[in-house]
Amino acid sequence: MKAAKFDYERPADLDGALRLLGGGGDVYAKVLAGGQSLGPMLNLRLAQPGLLVDVTRIPELTRVEDDGEALVLGACVTHAMIEDGKVPDVTGGALPSVAGAIAYRGVRNRGTIGGSVAHADPAADWPTALSALGAEAVVRGPSGSRTVPVSEFIVGVFETVMGEDEILEAIRIPKLSADARWGYYKVCRKPGEFADAIGAVLVDAEHSVHRLVIGATNAAPVTIADAAEVLGGNGVPGASFDLDAARRLVDGADTNLDDMERHIHAVALKRAVEQVAK
Amino acid sequence: MSTKGIGARLTRKEDGRYMRGRGNFVGDMAMSGLKEVAFLRSPVAHAKIEGIEIPDAIRARVFHNADMKGVRPMRPAASLPGFKQSDFPALAADKVRYVGEMIAACVADTRAEAEDLVEQIIVDFDELPVLANIVDAQKPGATLIHEEWGDNVFVVTSRDDDIDAVAKTAPVKVTRTYDMARQTMNPMEGAGCLAYWDERMGQLVLYSSTQAPHLIRTGLAEHLELEQRQVRVIAPDVGGGFGYKCIMQPEELAVAWLAIKLGHPVRWVQDRREHLVACANSRQHHYQVTAYADEKGRILATDVEVTVDVGAYSVWPFTAVLEASMAGGNLAGPYGLEVCRYKTFSVATNKPPFIPYRGVARAGVCFATELTVDAIAREIGREPHEVRFENLVTPDMMPYTNILNKHLDSGDYPECLRRAVDGIGLEAVRERQAKGEEDGRMVGVGIGMFTEQTAHGTSVFSGFGIPLIPGFEQAKCRVTPDGGLEIYIGVHSHGQGMETTMAQVANEILGIDPDLITVVHGDTGSSPYSTGSYASRAAVMAGGAISRTCKVLAERLGIIGAHLLQCGHHEVEVRDGKVVGPRGEVSIADVAKIWYLNPDQLPDDADPGGLEATGGYKPKVDTGSFTYSAHAAVVAVDVEIGAVELLDYVVVEDCGTMINPLVVEGQTFGGTAQGIGTGLYEESPYDDNGQPLASTFMDYIMPGATEVPDIRMVHMETPSPYTDHGIKGAGETAAIAPAAAIANAVNDALRGLGAEINETPMSPRRVLAALAGARKAAE
Amino acid sequence: MKKTVNLTINGRSVTAEVEPRTHLADFLRDDQRLTGTHLGCEHGVCGACTVIMDGEPVRSCINFAVACDGTDVRTIEDFDDDELMAHLRQAFTEEHGLQCGYCTPGMLIMARDIIARLPDADESRIRLELSGNLCRCTGYVGIVRAIRRVLAERKEVASV
Repeated sequence: MKAAKFDYERPADLDGALRLLGGGGDVYAKVLAGGQSLGPMLNLRLAQPGLLVDVTRIPELTRVEDDGEALVLGACVTHAMIEDGKVPDVTGGALPSVAGAIAYRGVRNRGTIGGSVAHADPAADWPTALSALGAEAVVRGPSGSRTVPVSEFIVGVFETVMGEDEILEAIRIPKLSADARWGYYKVCRKPGEFADAIGAVLVDAEHSVHRLVIGATNAAPVTIADAAEVLGGNGVPGASFDLDAARRLVDGADTNLDDMERHIHAVALKRAVEQVAK
Repeated sequence: MSTKGIGARLTRKEDGRYMRGRGNFVGDMAMSGLKEVAFLRSPVAHAKIEGIEIPDAIRARVFHNADMKGVRPMRPAASLPGFKQSDFPALAADKVRYVGEMIAACVADTRAEAEDLVEQIIVDFDELPVLANIVDAQKPGATLIHEEWGDNVFVVTSRDDDIDAVAKTAPVKVTRTYDMARQTMNPMEGAGCLAYWDERMGQLVLYSSTQAPHLIRTGLAEHLELEQRQVRVIAPDVGGGFGYKCIMQPEELAVAWLAIKLGHPVRWVQDRREHLVACANSRQHHYQVTAYADEKGRILATDVEVTVDVGAYSVWPFTAVLEASMAGGNLAGPYGLEVCRYKTFSVATNKPPFIPYRGVARAGVCFATELTVDAIAREIGREPHEVRFENLVTPDMMPYTNILNKHLDSGDYPECLRRAVDGIGLEAVRERQAKGEEDGRMVGVGIGMFTEQTAHGTSVFSGFGIPLIPGFEQAKCRVTPDGGLEIYIGVHSHGQGMETTMAQVANEILGIDPDLITVVHGDTGSSPYSTGSYASRAAVMAGGAISRTCKVLAERLGIIGAHLLQCGHHEVEVRDGKVVGPRGEVSIADVAKIWYLNPDQLPDDADPGGLEATGGYKPKVDTGSFTYSAHAAVVAVDVEIGAVELLDYVVVEDCGTMINPLVVEGQTFGGTAQGIGTGLYEESPYDDNGQPLASTFMDYIMPGATEVPDIRMVHMETPSPYTDHGIKGAGETAAIAPAAAIANAVNDALRGLGAEINETPMSPRRVLAALAGARKAAE
Repeated sequence: MKKTVNLTINGRSVTAEVEPRTHLADFLRDDQRLTGTHLGCEHGVCGACTVIMDGEPVRSCINFAVACDGTDVRTIEDFDDDELMAHLRQAFTEEHGLQCGYCTPGMLIMARDIIARLPDADESRIRLELSGNLCRCTGYVGIVRAIRRVLAERKEVASV
């Protein structure tokens, strides 16, 4: 189980990386941003790029900044750095708890937040969690930067809005108010496995945020941006958000899940909301 | 009395090298001129091969069936009436019969380059209808996997007791269908082998990750048409076997042939995808059971049909008959069943061939019978363990030959059950259930019992009439000139700790410290013949052989020692590493020094055989010593998402005299974990096209540290009356019962909801489906 | 096609030409002859190939050697004289935390990381942290007991 041949470059800066991605002619180039998902696909020969562009050492991609309203994490910040609190937490514990439940420690030490988002596996944690947190993806291309909400960044299984000549530069995570509440429930066969269902909820009344996300749906996460009403009148989740209410949301979402899968997603969503209600 | 002999809780001699990363596995070896092999494997489940297109530039490094002239396909016989043989060539000839079947071997400097070659080969397939399950394979007019057979059934076995009388009058009747999923063995090291031709010895040398080097030697010689003396097989460190490595792999045959053909060393190291999709299938049993019982739950008769989806070919030498026929023969389990009618079918499908897996057949049988016992208990409203007490064979019946001709040698089965019931705290669980759980989960408790026929020998295997039947076991023991001991055995240790336990047996006889004993195993060039480590036979058989041989050495040491001590040799005894006489003692080291280096001081009656002997052993009754066990599990079922968590797990087991309780516990914990995998997680599903759906550990879920609880073990120790030292086997046992115990616990938990689950693995989907079915039935 | 890498392996500076597709485990095993690092799945699930890179456990089968340029890698062979690893080895053998020995190097490296990083870990945390290392022989019973034992014994020493 050995990878097919590929070439490898490790550009010193973002411009160099963009040049390699854009200028290859008929060489299929792929960004290596930790490689914890790409590595297995290469070994299994499911992916056979001609060139790997290793961006993990590019300083712009490992930066950690506070821009006042949000925390900006370079795409190549690792899960373990977030888990261990080596980057500031502006989410009242949401970020480190999500990071700490991704795969296994050995993977978290090398895997990166940007790599995970750009890989766009619906069963991964970050696409759902960051959608719920209202995070944005900062995308750099030959013609400059653009910002896309993570909830719109992923459009399908392994599919994003990025062009082949673009790189995910950073994730911008808005600061939550002190009394914001976070709920996150992942259903998987065992720890470290990819999720069968994820429910995520953020209630940040001060910022008028009442957001639900149905994740791991075999497609892009489904974000319900204005969930104040379904969560119960004034937006404070209570007993009214039961399994039936969750199920109605799942049924109303555009997914191709079967009946049992929709049930499990509804349970995940309900349990996430229960965490917030507590 | 020695403190390091039989019964001592000795830490293992082999641990050091593994913990420092100094083990030596097949993949670790370096050799001048070594090339690596990758196989082109069929991407389709059933097709004629119309042509193989190999680019000229790589033709010299690619080999297929037509190149392998003179190599025989594996065609193991079995003497069961009606058994149909299959031709299983190392590389497919005109037809492929499962996804993953090997078509071509590619040789290159590195494995990566060999895989590059694989990608350049184009095979022209004429696809045939695929038989992906036992139902399709048994339909009239189904495509034939082996055209000459006329149908797709390897063999049918049956027993035809008259049950009509019982059926008419029995007050209780339960009928169930059970399914155990197909799964793979997954030792952490897959298979692998390295071969070269040794010009000096005129020998093919094959290093292989195998449980049975002598068996492989015999198999290679026969299939390559070599003389047996021209083949040497060495099993170095082997990273687990669990039955998968007790047969001759087609890859071993191909690599051996390549080495001879090419004149340089070649190696193949199996990767996990190959293991999961192409190589290591087992366990897919389907049962239809009807049991008749009286009001107390005493089983009056069972009527069972077993169908096993054994895949496309018979493996050499154990064939495709083992699973189903052993399933039939083990239907009585630990119970005193009086009437049993059964029929078993070994059905060929377009899937990889079945290979024996730890607890061969019995994991399925135990699942079917133990769930049936609980179904009877529910039917009559008794505690399942009470129903078991009604049926268990009792100590006063021992030895007991049951209706299926299993000769149960010894033990106290009811006491085993009592300890399991106490150990799991049944009453406390019942109280907990009455209170309910804060988190809404449903708690249940379940038991699974079984007997395992261990070290069954000639009289049993000859009944199958397979190519290779185990018989006597030998050991060669040599006292070294400085008083150490070398033990050469033909079985192989790959996790079982035999480098320690076999030294303990020798210590029991000679008193030589295990630290001064080397156990040499796994090399046909140095050890006596053995059919290998399988069927929980190694500790019984090799242990007995070592014991007998060491007694021979003790006698010879005594004669020399007595001479040195100037007393009669009947006056001395050998113990604690010394020859002890009435007026003094002399160390074995001193005796050995004189034998080897100062023969001038030897007595006239010294045995010229010296301090090296080969002795043999076979238990006085070779139908097997029966280890028995009760497993008890407590589960919590999350009925919203179908998740099952194991809260507690107790194993009570009696494997006769324990050579080393630490090692017995290790075997038990590991076997239980595999059984937990069978029960809750592991599954190799196939789609209708015969495509495997679990090809990586991302799809095939192995139990990890979070899925296996801190298992508690309770020992019982009833020596076997038939084996030296009373040893029974313990290797396979614990994998048998977990699926049954857990299923009974899950069904106990779901009883109030009217749901019942009768298949493995009990995945969330299956649990939810059972709950949905119950809801529907209630409506 | 080959690329030059410079890295430190078990305290030695190593410069080598590697094919980009060669993963770190193959580089360690085949080029450096450090065969204590084992391959169990080659897709990042089983943990047998776990090594220490810049102080952290990583999976050497899904990291390519070429991308490890400049790092400091330690394999199981480098821990012969490591005090904590010696303690773990003692506990592993006494609790029967290994059988066939194939997962053991990765398991020990992960265990050592758990003890160093999480001195207060309880049994369930240990199990969670170990969930990325598969063992087919032991049922994890001896492994978990060994780690618990080392944690307890070190705590005892620390409190004296």
